[in-house]
Amino acid sequence: MPSSHDHRHGQFCHRTRREFFWEAGASFTGLALSGLLDQGFFARHGYAAGQGGATDTPFANPLAAKPPHFAPKAKSVIFLFMYGGPSQVDTFDYKPKLYGLDGQTIEVKTKGRGGEKSQGRVVGPKWKFKQYGQCGKWVSDLFPHIATHVDDIAFIHSMTADSPIHGSAMLQMNSGKIQSGAPCLGSWVNYGLGSVNENMPGFVVMLDPTGGPISGAKNWSSGYMPATYQGTLLRSKGSPILDLAPPDDMPLEAQRTMLDALREANTAHLLSRGDNSELAARIASYELAWKMQEHAPEAVDLASETEETKTLYGLENPRTADFGRRCLLARRLVERGVRFVQLYSGGAHNDDNWDAHSDMEKNHNFHAGNTDQPVAALLTDLKRSGLLDSTLVIWGGEFGRQPTAEYAEGTGRDHNSFGFTMWMAGGGIKGGVSVGETDELGSAAISPGPGHGNGDKPGFHVKSLHATVLHQLGFDPNRLSYFFGGLDQKLVGVEHVEPIREVLA
Amino acid sequence: MFRENFCLCRGLWTLTLAVVGSGILLSPAAFAEPVDFSRDIQPLFAKRCFSCHGPDTQEAGLRLDQIAGATAALDSGSRAIVPGKTAESEILARITSSDPNTQMPPEGPRLTAAQVDAITRWVDEGAEWKEHWAFRPLTRPVVPAAADAGGDAANPIDAFILAGLAQRGLSAPPQADKTALIRRATYGITGLPPTEQEVRDFLADDSAAAWEKVVDRLLASPRYGEQWGRHWLDLVRYADTNSFERDGNKPHAWRYRDYVIRSLNDDKPYDQFVIEQLAGDELPEPTNDAFIATGYYRLGVWDDEPADREQFRYDWLDDIVATTGQVFLGLTVNCARCHDHKIDPIPQRDYYSMLSFFDNITPMGNGGDQIERPLFRDDADRQAYEEKVADLNRRRNEAQRAVNEIEKKFRDSWESPNQADAVGGDLDDLTFRFYRDSWKSLPVFDELKAEDTGSVLSQLFDIAVAPSLRPDNFGYVFTGFLKVPMDGDYTFSLDSDDGSRLTIDGSVVAEYDGIHGEGKPKSATLRLQAGRLPIRLDYFQGQHGKGLTVAWSGPGFGARTLSALQSRRKAAGKDSDLKKAIAADGERILGTDGKKHYDEKVKVLEKLKKEEVPVDKGLVVTERGPTPADTFVFYRGNPHAEKKPENKVSPAFLSILKAKEPVIPTPAADAKTSGRRTALARWLVSSDNPLPARVMANRIWQHHFGRGIVRSTSNFGMMGDPPTHPELLDWLATELIAGNWRLKSLHKLILLSQAYRAAATYKEEAFAHAEALKVDPLNDSFWRFDMRRLSAEELRDSIHVASGAFSPKMFGPGVYPTIPKEVMAGQSKPGAGWGDSSSEEQARRSVYAFVKRSLITPILADFDLADTDTSCPVRFTTTQPTQALGMLNGEFLHRQARVFAERVRREAGGPDAADVPAQVRRALEIALVRPATDAEVERGVALVDRLDDADGVSPSRAMELFCLMVLNLNEFAYLD
Repeated sequence: MPSSHDHRHGQFCHRTRREFFWEAGASFTGLALSGLLDQGFFARHGYAAGQGGATDTPFANPLAAKPPHFAPKAKSVIFLFMYGGPSQVDTFDYKPKLYGLDGQTIEVKTKGRGGEKSQGRVVGPKWKFKQYGQCGKWVSDLFPHIATHVDDIAFIHSMTADSPIHGSAMLQMNSGKIQSGAPCLGSWVNYGLGSVNENMPGFVVMLDPTGGPISGAKNWSSGYMPATYQGTLLRSKGSPILDLAPPDDMPLEAQRTMLDALREANTAHLLSRGDNSELAARIASYELAWKMQEHAPEAVDLASETEETKTLYGLENPRTADFGRRCLLARRLVERGVRFVQLYSGGAHNDDNWDAHSDMEKNHNFHAGNTDQPVAALLTDLKRSGLLDSTLVIWGGEFGRQPTAEYAEGTGRDHNSFGFTMWMAGGGIKGGVSVGETDELGSAAISPGPGHGNGDKPGFHVKSLHATVLHQLGFDPNRLSYFFGGLDQKLVGVEHVEPIREVLA
Repeated sequence: MFRENFCLCRGLWTLTLAVVGSGILLSPAAFAEPVDFSRDIQPLFAKRCFSCHGPDTQEAGLRLDQIAGATAALDSGSRAIVPGKTAESEILARITSSDPNTQMPPEGPRLTAAQVDAITRWVDEGAEWKEHWAFRPLTRPVVPAAADAGGDAANPIDAFILAGLAQRGLSAPPQADKTALIRRATYGITGLPPTEQEVRDFLADDSAAAWEKVVDRLLASPRYGEQWGRHWLDLVRYADTNSFERDGNKPHAWRYRDYVIRSLNDDKPYDQFVIEQLAGDELPEPTNDAFIATGYYRLGVWDDEPADREQFRYDWLDDIVATTGQVFLGLTVNCARCHDHKIDPIPQRDYYSMLSFFDNITPMGNGGDQIERPLFRDDADRQAYEEKVADLNRRRNEAQRAVNEIEKKFRDSWESPNQADAVGGDLDDLTFRFYRDSWKSLPVFDELKAEDTGSVLSQLFDIAVAPSLRPDNFGYVFTGFLKVPMDGDYTFSLDSDDGSRLTIDGSVVAEYDGIHGEGKPKSATLRLQAGRLPIRLDYFQGQHGKGLTVAWSGPGFGARTLSALQSRRKAAGKDSDLKKAIAADGERILGTDGKKHYDEKVKVLEKLKKEEVPVDKGLVVTERGPTPADTFVFYRGNPHAEKKPENKVSPAFLSILKAKEPVIPTPAADAKTSGRRTALARWLVSSDNPLPARVMANRIWQHHFGRGIVRSTSNFGMMGDPPTHPELLDWLATELIAGNWRLKSLHKLILLSQAYRAAATYKEEAFAHAEALKVDPLNDSFWRFDMRRLSAEELRDSIHVASGAFSPKMFGPGVYPTIPKEVMAGQSKPGAGWGDSSSEEQARRSVYAFVKRSLITPILADFDLADTDTSCPVRFTTTQPTQALGMLNGEFLHRQARVFAERVRREAGGPDAADVPAQVRRALEIALVRPATDAEVERGVALVDRLDDADGVSPSRAMELFCLMVLNLNEFAYLD
């Protein structure tokens, strides 16, 4: 080797490395870098820290934990998104009259992918319903496991949305607006609350193995808010987050050595720029990345879970293994302080998700069969660890389905945003209750009356669901706002929206 | 920097990002100065009082946005403000009260002592009320005298800046060193680093004009248009796709992007730039550029499958009103959609009056002529194109006539038991578009997105042809050609359940619209010439019964069906019956030679049908015709609200700006547009309108100094930030107009100022620096130049420049940077709508990267690319660990670090290829565009050694990792 080795024992080697490690281990949301910031200089010359916010917070982490408006019931949210729109009359909204009408053409107003209709052929529910729990809730045979938790669940049977079309309905369920460009619920939660774990993203999305939902990243976009608040895709296997793992030809040791050198150079650069908090923040962000690299993989490593737990989630069963794994990860993420976890059941198009346009039984047996046990396991597991008290679990899709057939033949149902079922559990939600009703066909919301985000129409609008989520997290949904485009924008929109008080414990 | 003043939201919720200087705007009254109504009082009233006591709502009878309301007797009998009399002014009692029942504001934090003091002093001093600064007429302010400016100020900008500094007791800032300055300006003007040669030349040039030479060179660089074009594209929310479920491509959108770049490079006057974008198509002799510019209206998001079409149309128009209001006027007109503006004096009626300028615009629909237009270099080019098209049509007609003639002969002599069923030979190249929705009458299908499209092989109007057919609520448009056998009179009959319309050669022949059953056919007779005539049939089905029967008769033949027979539907094969019949019986009836002759003629025709006359197209605006439908004020913004006559509005400019009524000449009956947009565009840049010049001058300042003189660069309303230097802003605005709206002269003036050349860092002046920081922590007075991070594009482009991979190629369709498959996995069809570009293409400037709304290139998204869906006046600068992860571990960085290391090895020269110190030095020089110090080289070499020695990395890989480290340096990513 040539002369370069002469530098091997130069001043750099072995001198700064340990010191940097020591500093890197310190907290980065506080004053870890104050030593680097030439603060003495400013103190000597009478510049009081705190005046301009420039020198007192080297890394003003926009995700630093923040208190909500009032004492929260829930600290985290797990949104189990049944993409495609599960049928309410085949799952949780028991309509005994519908069985007898099977095959009959009746007058009923519907609006879906196939436009507006005034009559249609009834498709009777394809599963039997049984009563469960102390509350005696009717649940279909699609969900024998979830059914055992009805006393912890609040069912909302008269959800309504503004669109029966996937694209805009997905946007609304995730962001409150049918227009593209608004921040998602998870973004609002992180904007409002920040994160208590800086090693993990605050808003995590886990996709179905068949692919993302339509409109892709728009479903976890932070819209007009900074990218800081957008959802991060988390993979349940391998390296969980994009660019989290260094490439194979950069061993961790080498990366650390490089980071130390980078830090030394950046520190030198900071001299004569000492009051620039952004430069200091960027130095800190590399150490934070290092810590994420170290700690985030642990969050998705199931090695420390017992066999009993794995069996509970159905990890040994190929049908339930994937969703079970993601449900178990959701619990682990919530344990680690992640604020908002969203799991998609179903992805891509058509029958890869709950969008049962042609054959109800084939579609719903498949998707319910993949998810029933894992969802029930999640509730069991959260409950026994005490986490359910502070974790709000939401189940539902972007809309429901019609009681009538979509085509001349077959049992497929078209989309329905006039009335559908969602449920919530944990996080200060009252168990064993059912609120709101659809008509006897399950085609449209009939109660409660107007005043739930729905203008002059009955039912609970998506906005009232969002208001409930924010309320449980300690926010007045009508006050959590973000100034953009000349307006104080709110997740729930301009008009005052109440949380669904009937489901609050 | 923050976008808008988003941390000024009411209530408790403030967001602190790591920003240069600070993330929080503090009360400006940190130093004793006379109270300034515009700066200290009005913004405070707007933020804390107007929502209950403003233009839209006057609780307790109090209106605080105008003097009359503020001093009037209230419902209670008292007066909020009695000028000069603090004791009688109820407002002071309320803002200082500790009684929760009476204190104001009732929600959110109490007013600070400084704010209460300012209001008290202002009332005491007589409560002088000035019109909001932004609405005042634009007049040219007097440049402060050198004495007031506290020094020599050859450049008027410095006179204003120095006067401001002197007011705060601050002195003129030290000047940046030449290396920092040329790097700052080169990035500022071109978005790229200077070359090493450019730096050397500047350092070596001791002449007085050295700096001016650099500025002139930079402003003449074609890179200027790319950098400043990107700023404009942020404002108009440029993207190549529509968002929503399909996120489909906008055809030719890139030509608009290129138009912007070219316009800036050509130093097109800003008034012309505005007029072209808003109404280029209505200019007396529109150029291609003028048409392409109107692509402005097509850039926003577009839901091709809205749940409620009427609602979506007005959401879409709202997006245009919002963007136009914010971009050109700096006003959030959009806040007056549902009610009068809560803060600014913009009544709801003004919103709809502004909307009416756009209400006649066609929607995106299916593309085609509605949004696309052929482009010609000149008249000769157009004529040549039109002649070619005419010639091609003539040849096609000729060939068709030859075919028709033989087919007629065949039909006349053909006897077959199945003849009555031998249908489908009269139409050619028939295609269908299938739609689904519920209608009561035929919609304008061209404005809707088809669910399904395809060919109709039977060559018959067949309403069962679509694969995604459903029983109810659907529609079709069939288009193709009618084969007219000879000149003569032809009779058409049309019957349908539900509505239908038959159009031949662009004219409606028969229409049978609405919901009804079959049985009362419409018919019409017309004279046609032999050949191929375009034919179109529109049809819709509601619920219950359905059907479509179309037939024609003519010289020598009785009624022949053009539509599929109910009885035959299932048997409809791959060819028309006629074609099958000729195949079977052609030789018998026409003879061997006759059949051969026929086949040849068919072949000729088929070949001609494939022939195309190539032409470039642009994405353009079109209108529904010369006479727009009426526009109404919608109660609570609901487009389904009743359209009451008293709510009808006509085009009008914002009343607050006291403009004259728009003059819109009545368009000719055959005009394609209403002329309304021209009226709007001309008003925007007229001398009556003080806003556009202020807004644009401020944007130019913003992109040089990192913030506008008005920080909220798209909100000059009362909720916006007041200007830190109002006179300077007005002076720059008048300068812009006086300079014939040319931007480059304004750039030059700014770049030549001392203010622009101020140092960002401190060295021996550290004491003065600390003092100034104490007096003016937010740098309101420009006592230094604020450092800034490179934008997402600048960072990505700089990495390419450093690695040597950079390609300067300009213009053309969007480039597809490689997107990691983990990111693609978020799509419902991974990889859909994304192309492959060669690594050379990918190394072009990021402004040429394809902008797919639902799939943003990760490194650009990480570093705060503008949101694609709404106008973005100021980008965020976030600092997050995910950025560091991408920069440390990402595929793109590692690839570029390798290319960079190869370059360094190549260029380090010297006899010894593995001369590590030389390579380290070279890498630092290239990336930082300055000489490396010996100490830096020593540290770099130590790093390479350690990687290679202790961490088990190969020597060549160690150099790559060193290069990676260099690309991660703060010095690389930040400008002094």
